[in-house]
Amino acid sequence: MTATRFVGKSIWIIVMSVLAFLMLYPFLFSLLAGLNTKAEFSNMGAVLLPLPQTPVFSNFTFMFTPSGIRPFINTVLRTGWYTVLVSLIAVLFGYVMARYEFKGKKFVLGMIIATQLIPAVLTLIPGFVMVARLPFLGGNNWMGVGGKGLINNPVILYLRLDFTYLLWVFLFMQSTRSLPRAFEESAEIEGCGFWQTIFRIIIPLQKPIIAVIAVNVALATWNDWLIPFMYINKVQYSTLPAYIGTLTAALQSFGDKDYPKLFAMSTVAILPPALIFMFLQKYIIQGIASAGVKG
Amino acid sequence: MNNLSVMGVKPQKTLPRATREARRAYKIIIPILVYMCFWGLIPLVLGLGLGFVEFNGLSAAPKFVGLKNYIDFFTTGEYLTLLWRQAWLGFLCLSLNIVLSFIVGLSLNVKSRIRGLYRTSVYVPSIAAVSITTAVFVALLDPYSGGLNKMLEAVGMAPVVWNYSQFWMVFWIAVFYVWRSLGPAAIIWLGGLQSIDPALYEAADVDGANFVQKVRYITVPGLKFVAGYIFLTGIIGVMQMFDVVMFISKGNPYGMTDVLMYRIYRDGIVNFNMGMAGASSTILGIITVIFALIYLKFFFFKKED
Repeated sequence: MTATRFVGKSIWIIVMSVLAFLMLYPFLFSLLAGLNTKAEFSNMGAVLLPLPQTPVFSNFTFMFTPSGIRPFINTVLRTGWYTVLVSLIAVLFGYVMARYEFKGKKFVLGMIIATQLIPAVLTLIPGFVMVARLPFLGGNNWMGVGGKGLINNPVILYLRLDFTYLLWVFLFMQSTRSLPRAFEESAEIEGCGFWQTIFRIIIPLQKPIIAVIAVNVALATWNDWLIPFMYINKVQYSTLPAYIGTLTAALQSFGDKDYPKLFAMSTVAILPPALIFMFLQKYIIQGIASAGVKG
Repeated sequence: MNNLSVMGVKPQKTLPRATREARRAYKIIIPILVYMCFWGLIPLVLGLGLGFVEFNGLSAAPKFVGLKNYIDFFTTGEYLTLLWRQAWLGFLCLSLNIVLSFIVGLSLNVKSRIRGLYRTSVYVPSIAAVSITTAVFVALLDPYSGGLNKMLEAVGMAPVVWNYSQFWMVFWIAVFYVWRSLGPAAIIWLGGLQSIDPALYEAADVDGANFVQKVRYITVPGLKFVAGYIFLTGIIGVMQMFDVVMFISKGNPYGMTDVLMYRIYRDGIVNFNMGMAGASSTILGIITVIFALIYLKFFFFKKED
């Protein structure tokens, strides 16, 4: 290695390390701040990282006491539900679109693509109005007047299924199209029905693409703070990122701010996506390009 | 038929394969699509109607007011200012991100054993929810107890009340946006760079092309597709961005960093002025759809050439 190349490489390493530190800094900050007591954090001098004199874990352990664990449990349940549901829909819907011929298939395909172009802004507020005005629910009469509909009802976090999920159907369809039919044909000769073909042949063969779908849906659901933030205002029904969102929004106003507790919560909320990312990185990277199709 | 009865199989009407497949397909697709339409299509139609009424979203019935909300949007000036700010703030964030992510993408295109580590750390911010990571920015920017001002004081500089300055709030919004969106864009640039056939550069070397010519005639054309992708999906994103603004600046100081999307959110969810929220949503939505259609044209129907 020549001298200039060595210098160039060293500069590259220094610059990239600084960049990496800056990118990870908020996470380090959040982890360390969570280990402080409230008093210690607010008296912190001019330091880059809020290292505590003696780390306290009460902020973290609070999250796993009966009064603090509900948002975490809700997030886990919601993420699990959507991951399984959307993956299953993507497999069934995508398989049928890839292999079966039927009237209206072109229309459905056109619909899948067209719905990806609907910007979120068009349905954000009307969706809220609709949920508030659902007839017969939450004290509403048949006209949808009188009560609050499903606002502030935890069920709403599990019911919504909008067009954005059709993206994963599209992805599964594309990947099944490139799969040779021979496997399914021999399975059919052996007497496999539709469901057996799906569960014994298609799902095992399509594990990589299902992983892409599941990982991306899981991440998106875990990080979806907006829907619970809009529809739920009780901590017990909320999810972790949404609850942290209400605390973050409240930081701008005057009053008592418990930063260490907030950051302990943030750290716990970041941990599952970080673990998913660490171990399933390649599936996320594969999903970037396809997720960009969303309007 | 007789053979089957002999074998003990109940004779049944066997439909042609095509019919069976079609029935199976409908059984699966129709329930899913109908359910999705409930959550997707009704709000869409409702939203178009919402702009023509005055409605608090609660008990009182919506009152038809014709084009009043749309006229207000274009005549009060307030909403046009917010739309314009959404556009320039978004464009500022996006262009910074495109330039910086390209530089990072180039830097990651170096052969090294620790490259994976850098790639991971650049990507990590985008996998955490905005509501969580903005908390750190807000804590650092706290004018009294924030770490940033303490550091400024420590090096002998005057502390800055960040929230009182439009410039600094825009600056920090842009910093947060770039911090969060850098990774995915850099990875896409990197993918684009790596998909360029190295043989092209070798051929250029043989022909005696210099560095600028190689960039001009090989790298830039090779990245056209990727650039369009990043730019158009980015525009669609920033035209609807409000979470960063909401958490970092709350539109302050004095609404000078407020954007249209945040106003729509407040009109709808906080102030229950559903009519105005519906009208502004429709306008912003149409603008976004135009960008989305350009994107679709660019991506799905340009592949032949």
